[in-house]
Amino acid sequence: MTASRTAPRTRVGGRLRQRRTVAVSTLLLLIPVTACSGGSGGGGGGSSAPTATTITLSHGYTDVEAKEIAVQVAIWNKANPTSTVKLEFNGGNDGALQKTIAGFTAGNYPDAAYEYGSSAAQLARQPKLVDLTDEVTAPGMDWSDFYPSERQAATVDGKVVGIPALVDNLALVYNKKLFQAAGVALPNASWTWQDFRTAAKKLTDPSTKTFGWAYINDGSEDTVWRYLAMLWQAGGSLLNSTNTKPAFDSPAGLAALQQLYNMAVVDKSVYLDTGNDAYLNVFNSGKIAMLWTGPWDLSSILPSIDYGVTLLPGYNGDHQTISGPDLYMLFDHSGPRAAAAFKFISWLTSAKVHLQFAIATGDLPLRKSETTLPGYQTFLKKYPAERVFVDNLNNVKNVRPNIASYAEISSAIGEMVQSVLLGQSQPQAALDAANQKVAAVLAGGS
Amino acid sequence: MLPGPIDKRPARPKRHRRTVADGLVGWGMVSPAVLLIGLFGLVPVVWSIALSFQHDDLETPATWAGTGNYRELIHDPVFKEAIQHTIVYTLIFVPVTLVLALLVAGALNRRVRGMSLYRLAVFIPVVTSTVATGVIFTWLLDPNFGIINAVLQKIGLPTSGFFASPNAALFAIIGMTVWGWVGFGALIYLAGLQSIPGDVLEAALIDGCSRAGAFWRIQVPLLRPVTGFLVVWLTINALQLFDEVYVTTKGGPLHATTVVVYYIYEEAFEFFHAGYAATMATALFAVIALITVVQLRIARDSSEMGQA
Repeated sequence: MTASRTAPRTRVGGRLRQRRTVAVSTLLLLIPVTACSGGSGGGGGGSSAPTATTITLSHGYTDVEAKEIAVQVAIWNKANPTSTVKLEFNGGNDGALQKTIAGFTAGNYPDAAYEYGSSAAQLARQPKLVDLTDEVTAPGMDWSDFYPSERQAATVDGKVVGIPALVDNLALVYNKKLFQAAGVALPNASWTWQDFRTAAKKLTDPSTKTFGWAYINDGSEDTVWRYLAMLWQAGGSLLNSTNTKPAFDSPAGLAALQQLYNMAVVDKSVYLDTGNDAYLNVFNSGKIAMLWTGPWDLSSILPSIDYGVTLLPGYNGDHQTISGPDLYMLFDHSGPRAAAAFKFISWLTSAKVHLQFAIATGDLPLRKSETTLPGYQTFLKKYPAERVFVDNLNNVKNVRPNIASYAEISSAIGEMVQSVLLGQSQPQAALDAANQKVAAVLAGGS
Repeated sequence: MLPGPIDKRPARPKRHRRTVADGLVGWGMVSPAVLLIGLFGLVPVVWSIALSFQHDDLETPATWAGTGNYRELIHDPVFKEAIQHTIVYTLIFVPVTLVLALLVAGALNRRVRGMSLYRLAVFIPVVTSTVATGVIFTWLLDPNFGIINAVLQKIGLPTSGFFASPNAALFAIIGMTVWGWVGFGALIYLAGLQSIPGDVLEAALIDGCSRAGAFWRIQVPLLRPVTGFLVVWLTINALQLFDEVYVTTKGGPLHATTVVVYYIYEEAFEFFHAGYAATMATALFAVIALITVVQLRIARDSSEMGQA
């Protein structure tokens, strides 16, 4: 599960057993229904010409994004009556990978699917995946117009496996009122880790249960990617250049963990969110002064909270951030559908069309050229706080390793960070333990 | 075997010779159920046993693993932890739920104004979705802003990290699931209590037995078959604990709430080691089958004893 997410997590839990029963009975109900509609000669849904293709786009968009994708698809379908698109809601992007893979097993998979960037390497193994390496060099595509981090996220072992669908990054979001109340100067783009730590400590007040910072401490990719940004700033990297050995057990890795330890355990200035749902509510209650978060959270911040956005605090002047680009991935059904799907996704992610999507939803521009279009001013006017995030796209210097075992590596790193934040391990011991685990995962091959 | 005239038990239907037509009608009637159970119950079981001897990432063609997955399983420290957590969970969850359910059923089994309201209140947690329960408990048990810690602090007791603490998280899950299951147990016990003939109780009271004495010495022993059923049912559910973990702690912090089924999920659908996950599922299946057989046997023996 990548941390790049635009809508609040849609939890997919529920009474699983019950749901399975419902699924079974729905299935049984569907048999006669489909039989009937087959018998009535394709009535109801508008007669389709024999040459028409319809492709499906599976997505997890909710709220404004769901509305806007429907608008875009309607525009496409009107202009392309012989090559239409059908939207399929996958129940939430957190489960998109699982849904897609289950679809392959069942022989019922979409032509195009919205997937987290961290799923790319896993899905790259799928034989039905459409290899887009040649397609993206097509003249109309202008592949280099996408931000470098997006292109890297879409590339696995030199193969282009998807088209960027969303890009974001982490910046520092702060509650101005809390800073004023504590008499602390507002953060700026040249803050160091030490400035950040000192401010967080001053902003923390146990008597009012106010915290300087919040860290998502569920051990998931949400825990991991914030650490990765710090690791990279300090000059470290997660794996070696060939992705065959861990490389984070380094002075940089230690510096980053030590900073977390100092803040969470020594200063106790960090609100540790166990489940990823609480921090925003607590921020909205004026109990957290600073967040490291992305543009997807801005729409959930209450109007009563006067907030500012600036770059992440830096280490030796390095303020780089991390981005978790998501992708549209295409899967082959024999015949013309793959080509139709590529055409549609190319259109959907073209600068003009995507800018409309961005203006409607607050998503960041996907392509550099979007920021030169006249509509971009409308975007900035509507979402003034997003400017920092757009500029911050140029501060993305590294990407997560795009390998199939990333989920396991992420899990080991998540555990490492968690054990330090909870004060269960000293930073160096945690590094060593995680180093061993990651080395074992990489040696295991799969 | 004809029922004797003195036998108070309901008469068993007379056995008559089966004909082919009877057989066909019988099979015809059960076949939808058999088909469904076979398709969605047995086929997956057999399939996952087969899968447990393979390496399968659900994407590329599977390769034969022999007993490799099983050998790996024996040496997997996380699996060992998961088993420990599952056992601790089951050993606390089942008895606590049983006792609370019994006490609640006892309390609900009387004529008081508004009793149906109380019964409803006890049963509501059972029909509340796990996701909602998870969200509610996450906030109740929030270490900093939760009401439970606020109350503990006010009365001078030590507070806890609950879901955030590796030492407390499993117990927080136990508390949450007991809350969710007591209503179910109480409902079953209540039905059992109400099927106990009133004259037995009346006779005991006339003989000078106290109400509490009658409850513990007469009603509770007569509820033995119900208890047997609940023990089996709760144990199976405890061994299959997943939903509550998924919506609250995701197996954390630091694997503190990683139970077997959650670990299976993680291996199969986060890391895509489907073969290895199937191995664990097969092991769990064997354990549950064994425990169920043993428990059913014990329950049957004791209920026969009770009737003797």
